[in-house]
Amino acid sequence: MSGPPELYQSQSGDPPLPTGERGSRILAPLRAEGARGVAIAVVSAMVFFTVVIVAVLSSSGWPEIRRAFFDGEVFREAFPKIVDRFGLNVFIFVVAEGLVLAMAMLIAVLRSLHGPVFFPLRILAAGYTDLFRALPTILVIALLGFGAPALRLSGVPTSKVFWAIVALTLVYSAYVAEVYRAGIESVHPSQVASARALGLSRRKTLRFVVLPQAIRRVLPPLLNDFIGLQKDSALVAFLGVTEGLRESQIIQFENFDFTPYVALALVYVVITIPQARFVDWLVARDRRRRQTGVGV
Amino acid sequence: MNAQVNGRALVLEDVHKSFGKLQVLKGIDLSVAEHEVVCLIGASGSGKSTMLRCINLLEPVDAGRIVVHGEEITARGVDVNRIRQRIGIVFQAFNLFPHMSVIRNVTLGPTEALGMPRSEAEALGDELLGRFGLADKRGDYPDRLSGGQQQRVAIVRALAMQPDVMLLDEVTSALDPELVAEVLNVIRELAAGGMTMVIATHEMGFARDIAKRVCFLDAGVILEQGPPERIFTEPQEDRTRRFLQSIIDAGRM
Amino acid sequence: MRRVLIGVAAFGLLLAACAEENPVIAPTGTGTPPATAAECTTANQAAFESPGRLTIGTGNPAFPPWWEGGESPGSEFEFNDPARGEGYEGAVAAEVATRLGFSFPDEIGFVAVAFNESFAPGPKDFDFVLQQISYKAKRDEAVDFSESYYDVNQALVAAQDSSIAGATTVAELADAKLGAPIGTTSLDVIEDVIQPSQEPNVYDDLALAIQDLKSGAIDGVIVDLPSAFFITAVQFTKGVVVGQFELESQEYFAMVFETGSPLVECVNLALQEIRADGTLDAIHQEWLADKTNAPVLS
Repeated sequence: MSGPPELYQSQSGDPPLPTGERGSRILAPLRAEGARGVAIAVVSAMVFFTVVIVAVLSSSGWPEIRRAFFDGEVFREAFPKIVDRFGLNVFIFVVAEGLVLAMAMLIAVLRSLHGPVFFPLRILAAGYTDLFRALPTILVIALLGFGAPALRLSGVPTSKVFWAIVALTLVYSAYVAEVYRAGIESVHPSQVASARALGLSRRKTLRFVVLPQAIRRVLPPLLNDFIGLQKDSALVAFLGVTEGLRESQIIQFENFDFTPYVALALVYVVITIPQARFVDWLVARDRRRRQTGVGV
Repeated sequence: MNAQVNGRALVLEDVHKSFGKLQVLKGIDLSVAEHEVVCLIGASGSGKSTMLRCINLLEPVDAGRIVVHGEEITARGVDVNRIRQRIGIVFQAFNLFPHMSVIRNVTLGPTEALGMPRSEAEALGDELLGRFGLADKRGDYPDRLSGGQQQRVAIVRALAMQPDVMLLDEVTSALDPELVAEVLNVIRELAAGGMTMVIATHEMGFARDIAKRVCFLDAGVILEQGPPERIFTEPQEDRTRRFLQSIIDAGRM
Repeated sequence: MRRVLIGVAAFGLLLAACAEENPVIAPTGTGTPPATAAECTTANQAAFESPGRLTIGTGNPAFPPWWEGGESPGSEFEFNDPARGEGYEGAVAAEVATRLGFSFPDEIGFVAVAFNESFAPGPKDFDFVLQQISYKAKRDEAVDFSESYYDVNQALVAAQDSSIAGATTVAELADAKLGAPIGTTSLDVIEDVIQPSQEPNVYDDLALAIQDLKSGAIDGVIVDLPSAFFITAVQFTKGVVVGQFELESQEYFAMVFETGSPLVECVNLALQEIRADGTLDAIHQEWLADKTNAPVLS
């Protein structure tokens, strides 16, 4: 029944399609230039940064800046307090992000439904993304955070943190839904055709073929929005709740010193860089699972 | 039920299809018997792909009807997914799912569309992959495979649905010449096994070997059809002659 | 390669040249220290932001009862125009300016500043800030303060039907949800004196705190005593001033200067003058008399 095995081996030494370099794109051109190129790059970088640092440190305003922004004693007082309060920010953005990822998916899927019977849902989804991308985030937080408790309705939660999370979820779901939509539309229609041709329903095609590919494609912009959300978690301070940024402001005003801002900045840098590297790693690892470019 | 469609695997009656103002199919009539292998030849744009996509209901027809094993699939209210499960189609551009391994590509249809248990689907998949020399690739992702291997997997993926009819749309046109043979051999095997097939192809030599009947598509209709020996050596129509001549001139026959 | 290095070096030199020259304020004048505020001004003409004028920074909007008289067309200030010289701080500013030798209102200018501009490094566009800023030892390291122009107590405002409206002791506030605007010593009172079981809310500004007070999200707001009376009279008429707090060391408002400014001495001389001749009392009587009676919460 089966033919001789040799018939099914590739005739040429046809190599598998390339999976892409794992190395950093920044260094790639340097490698291409060769050793001389690397030497020039390193030396010019060193010279440039030395010049910049010397220029800043020797400016006449530097001692004032140093006292106001880089005061060691204030830093030591501020840092632990800020880190402690930052725990609330973490709680807010982790919970909100979970809700956002789910809700945005729902909106994106609603928007991509075909057929006249789904028209109201599509309009609703489109209207939602229009509205909540138009409204400034702080406005939504203020309306919900001050307005909702003011209604004094029983059963309506009065927790400011609750309403901040709700507001952030509503706003960011609109942005992330558009990111998902871009991802979904970037999946080549031939993928959908192949899945439907097998007899898979629209829903299953979306679930097994489109969405897994779509999400993988938009991991970097998803992280972008998540990072934005992490910063916006500070907006709960507008409602009166003390979180990381507010704590740094309180210490700032007590001491008339900006060092707490630097401490807060350090916290944000420390948490953000690993996330960026993690997504880079995910993207590199998944490169093989992205479409290898053959269209219809 | 029209007596003509009884016992036929696939019947197309006066099928018309337009894309906007462009009329692609202008009245296709075709009847394919059980276990028959029909090859479609014709210039690009003659409507071969469109015809196959209409049979699979990937494109809705504008007029005419299509009947598969006695069931009119172009009728209103038909369950499109169920029909497509009975008809396998393989495209020129393989279109494997890049985020899934080969075995998962093959078992997705059976498990999700047919509701087959995973273990059963995998057993079926492994058997088919083994039959066509791809057993050692089961865990690989499509990007690791050559073009010929990917296309063979695409055929296996369609076969895993255990269709009644297989439609092959220029499945070797995107392949490097040295990889074409392995795919053609798979198709030969299927034909030998009795699969009813409609194959659009440029490979004339292959068509001559494998086809029970060759149809020449031109300007949206089947201009001429018949056994391969007759079509290739004594075409009746002038345009058929010119088409075959151009193929010979291009050194492809 | 050489071109690259030359280009980079040139760029660096350009940067260095652009580093702003910041004039260091050095005391001028020689010999005997000035005896009057006006003499001090004459001796330190060059130290003023705009020689021949006194430039004062304050917050926008200008809140009563510190500033009164309403807005002026053409002025950037909302609620009240500080240049009118009305309200407690407005009157103090006008008086101090006069003692310094400037004629009111022509030789006095006001600029709107954000709170953190009063202590930010870098050149300033004002001579000092006058904005209900309290003296704190820690703050003194970053700026220079004048002497007190107002000894202030913090007070508690609550809704009249609230559970704490009738409180007479600090202990009764233990379970209350309190709020305070940021940057004020109100927060210190909450943390050091009241020490409630619930986290206090800290707001960007007083208006947001009052919003939450009205809606019942918080039970009380801690704010300086004169502002507390203003709130219950105008912004939240259903509120009451429950009481005021007395701390071990008296809190006071002072003007805020750049570190090393010679003008501190001049302003202090002016303040001593208006205190000694009763002018300060008169100003207090005019603008804050009805805003000081509240029981002390012990």
